[in-house]
Formats: sequence, C-alpha cells, structure tokens
Amino acid sequence: MPYHEFDCSTCIPERKKHAVVKGPGETLADALPAGYLNTVPGSISERGCAYCGAKHVIGTPMKDVIHISHGPVGCTYDTWQTKRYISDNDNFQLKYTFATDMKEKHVIFGAEKLLKQNILEAFKAFPDIKRMSLYQTCASALIGDDINAIAQEVMDELPDVDIFVCNSPGFRGPSQSGGHHTICIAWFNDKVGTVEPEITSDYVINYVGEYNIQGDQEVMQDYFKRMGIQVLSTFTGNGSYDDLRAMHRAHLNVLECARSSEYLCNELRVKYGIPRLDIDGFGFEPLADSLRKVGLFFGIQDRAEEIIQAETARWKPELDWYKERLKGKKVCLWPGGSKLWHWARVIQDEMGVEVVSVYTKFGHQGDMEKGISRAGEGALAIDDPNELESLEAMYKLKPDCIFTGKRPGEFAKKIRVPYLNAHAYHNGPWKGFEGWVRFARDIYNAIYSPIHQLAMLDISNDEIPTDKGFVTRRILSDANLSDEIRNADNLRQYTGKFDIIPDLRNKTAEDFPYLRQDKLEKAI
Amino acid sequence: MEDLMKERIEQLIDYIMKHCLWQFHSRTWDRERQNREILTKTKQILCQESVEPADRLDRCHWVDAVVLAEAYRKNYPWINKLDTSEIAVLMKGVHERLDYLTITGSLNLELTDQHY
Repeated sequence: MPYHEFDCSTCIPERKKHAVVKGPGETLADALPAGYLNTVPGSISERGCAYCGAKHVIGTPMKDVIHISHGPVGCTYDTWQTKRYISDNDNFQLKYTFATDMKEKHVIFGAEKLLKQNILEAFKAFPDIKRMSLYQTCASALIGDDINAIAQEVMDELPDVDIFVCNSPGFRGPSQSGGHHTICIAWFNDKVGTVEPEITSDYVINYVGEYNIQGDQEVMQDYFKRMGIQVLSTFTGNGSYDDLRAMHRAHLNVLECARSSEYLCNELRVKYGIPRLDIDGFGFEPLADSLRKVGLFFGIQDRAEEIIQAETARWKPELDWYKERLKGKKVCLWPGGSKLWHWARVIQDEMGVEVVSVYTKFGHQGDMEKGISRAGEGALAIDDPNELESLEAMYKLKPDCIFTGKRPGEFAKKIRVPYLNAHAYHNGPWKGFEGWVRFARDIYNAIYSPIHQLAMLDISNDEIPTDKGFVTRRILSDANLSDEIRNADNLRQYTGKFDIIPDLRNKTAEDFPYLRQDKLEKAI
Repeated sequence: MEDLMKERIEQLIDYIMKHCLWQFHSRTWDRERQNREILTKTKQILCQESVEPADRLDRCHWVDAVVLAEAYRKNYPWINKLDTSEIAVLMKGVHERLDYLTITGSLNLELTDQHY
C-alpha cells in the first residue's frame, strides 16, 4: 500500500493509514486510505460533530421551518449562518436560529419544561411559520430528555403545527457524516409519505443532496423546469418542509451529494421503488451528461439537448478564457465530502489546473474511491487531516490555490497560499454552466490577486523591489501568454451579472413553456 | 492480441472511473447490481440489440448505459469496428475488471456493512 507518512505525524502511527499516493500503474485495489473512523486521539481534526452534520448541513437549509436546538446556546451559534444556503423566502432559515439555552441547573433538574416553553414561544413569535425541526444535542441527550414526547405534546396542543425530531447528538458518530445518516433515516421514517402533493407534470423528480449554496439549487431547478420537469422537493436547499413530506410521489430521485443523502435515496428506492440517479452538477461535460440522463429517463432528451447547446454556446468562450490562464496551476481539493470527487477530474479537463491533492474531512472510503479515481495518478489523498498535516502538505506540494473550509483556509493564508471557500463559495453559485465560469473566475482572482502577490514577499527576509509599479491581475496572468491567446476574439472574461439569482426568481410560467404545456395536457 | 484486449479494457475502465458515479454505490450487493445491469445494457446497446427496461428502476440503469455507450463510441472509435462477438468478449472483460476494482479487490471496508 503506497501510504504517505507525514513527518509531523510520526508520533501518531495510526495516522499513516489515512494518506496515500496512487502511483503509476496502481489501482484502487492498491491505494485507498482508511476512512470514516473515530479520529485518532492526539490528532487535532477539522471535523464537525454528528449534531452539526444533521442540523447545519442538512436540516437547516429547509426554508420554511423554525430550527431549534435543545442544548447550550453554543451548539446553535456554531451552526448558524456560516454556510450560505440561501432561500427564496427572504432567507428565514438563515436570519433566525433558535436554542433552548440549557444551563447547568437544567442538566441537574432536567430541561423538558424549558424545551416546551421555548417551542411555544418560537411558534408565537413567528405565527406564519407552522413547521419546526428540533435537534437533540449532547447535553440534552445525556440527561435523557424525551424530546419526542415534548414535540408530540406541542403538536397535540397546536394541531396546525408539525415538528420533526432529530436525535443526533454530537457524539452519535465519528464525524458530521454520522449526523447526515441519522437525519436522512429519521426524515424518511417520520415524515416521508405524510403529505400528498399536487402533481403537475408527467415528469416528477426529487432533487436530493443539494443545499442551495449561493443559489446552486435555483440554477439547477431552472434547468429542470425548462425541461418541463416538476421538482417535487429539494432535499434540502431552498426546500419546503411539506414538499419534502411528499417525496414518495416522485418518479426519480436525482442525487447530487451522495455522501450526505444517499441513505434517503436508498430507502426511497426500497420502499417506494423510486430509482436513484447520481449526477454531477459541476462542470460543462458532467452537467451536460447529467441533464441528458434525466431527459433520457423521461423520454425528453431533446429538451435537455436544447439547454446544453444554448448554455454551452453562451458560456464556453468565457470558461476557456480562464482555462488559458489557469493551465498548469496546482490546486488542492480539500472540501468536506463530495466536492472532491465532483471536481477532481473535470476541473483539470475544463480549467486546465492540476489537482495535486484531495482530502476529505468526513468522507467515507467510497468518497476516496471516487476522488482518487478522478484525480488521477500522483495526487496526495488524505483522510481527516490535522492542521499540521495540511500545513506540511502545502509546504511540500506548493499549491497555487486550495479549495477548503474557513478553518484550514485561514492558516493557508498565513503561509501565503490563496484559498477559496469550498463549502460556502466566494462568488457563487458555482453549479450550472454559468456557475462553473464563476468558479473559474474566483480561482483566477485568487491566484492572480496583486495583493496576494505582495503578500508573498516576506519583508523580514526577501528583497523588496522598488522598481516595480502598479500591476493588475491581467498583467500577471497574461505575462506568458502568446499573442494569439491574449488577443483571441473567441475568448472573453465572465460577462454575467454580480448576482444571477434574482433573474431566476423573477421568471414566470411563460418562461417554462414545456412545464405549462405538460400541465395543460395533464389537466385535459 | 491479449495485450490489445487488456489495453482496451483498461481504456474503457478508465473512462468509467473518471466519468461515472454509478459503480460506487456503497455496498457490495449494490455494486454488483449496478455493474451487472449497466454493463449488460451497455453491451446490448453497443451490439445494437434492443433493450427494453423492465420498470423504472431498470430504466435508470438503461439511462446510464445509453450515455456510457455513446461516450465509448465517441471517445474510442475503434469500438465501432468490432463485431458483436468481439464487443461481447470486451464487455465481459470490462465487467470482470470493474467488479474486481470496485468489489472483490476493493479495499473499502464499508462494502460489507449490513447497514446503509
């Protein structure tokens, strides 16, 4: 096994099995790191807890819901607002968060009364919101508070409200991934099948494992609607609680982030016979294939092809402008779980960068199988890295940019490696054809930032040039380009809007003729 | 001849590994079904046999097979020159190799976990 042992982790020998480099001629049967195991004591992990995985990642993007945590206020605060999963109802779920604010006295005397009081107060404070998700935390789980019983009491007293209970305290699993699993199964067992939806199209999907980061879901939903497909529910970005109770009536589950929500698709397949189609919403070619597959499933492939042709013609010249300037740049894909494999191949093929490392904080070995396969030979694959290992990897690999979370991102900046936020994005959405160009633009801006170039100089060590004046990104990026590329008429920088989501939200039924036509035919 | 076949199988495997997701479902039985259903249909499409999905679950396999077969024809033009018996042998080799890489030879310890 081609394990990679970090110098900084020789004192933690268990860590050796968590990093590999797949060499020439080697396969997945030769190179795969350990994964989804308890973090090794002594290794300062970047992982989150199972409560965070359930609430912050999956539960909270639901838009028309009071999300309340039963526990200390810190649990809620640390899972609030740091991930930009916006919604089309004025971001209710981002603006407000709720906690019962447990204290020591509640640990001693119990906090069920406190919980009930908080639930009633929350519904009273927001009388238009009739749905709630309620999260167990370590503190309330350890003292044995029966949050299901309290939720039922409230639902008995307030018949127009519905409460979803998620028993995923922080210790329930080795990482946030345990929480993903728990909340998926809980939602399936407790809520799916409890609402009958209005079906308005012959083509009905659930869009699963999509969290609407800076509008990703709305971009993809637009494509589906242009194809005449009814998106019955989205699990959970920009998703509505009651729509998600009706998931059992879809014809197809289109699965984006298999890491966080394949469990739900698998259950829907077993109980309701709804197939699971895994897709990639990132990158021109993978997205085109994904739309093509959905179209094929429903026998409306021509509609998918219309979109693919139009979007490719509009945005490919802009993607290629960045590709010419990003060629050969080394990047590390260091996200949480799924993006390492969503991006690993296509970012190399379509943006010209070289992926020198993939890591996952909480992914399973299955995610590494996908990531290592797609990244190709020579990429350093790390499971659950600690901070020192990440630093060592950056010193060794010398990446031009890393895509990761804000914690490793901050120490990357300290050693002068630019980073982009892989979880919440910089100037997203990054999904969709236009979104992929926006991602390329963010990478370009990060790598060629003149400010960053200045930061590369160490004033205590380097000679500071005094003969150089003002520079721009363009001066830096075009320095070694041929005239042919630099002046190419068929390439151009991004020309889209600062925020592309309002235009999507302003669309009317007239903008979706297939959807309207199918609805009319169904009515007749 | 054997080397050529092996090389071609590796090319087709490489495409699957870099472009597809269906071979990486999370359990052994899941992967066996995915590999079998999708690669059988891919072979049938490449051999221009008619494929009639039995139900919507099967239709989902067919969808992945159609896109894979199209990609093979486009990216590996030599496949269009093979006769049906050669394609059958080739795809049998692809199936065996994929089963090895994703199931029997896989180092993924989660494949045999009884719970999703």
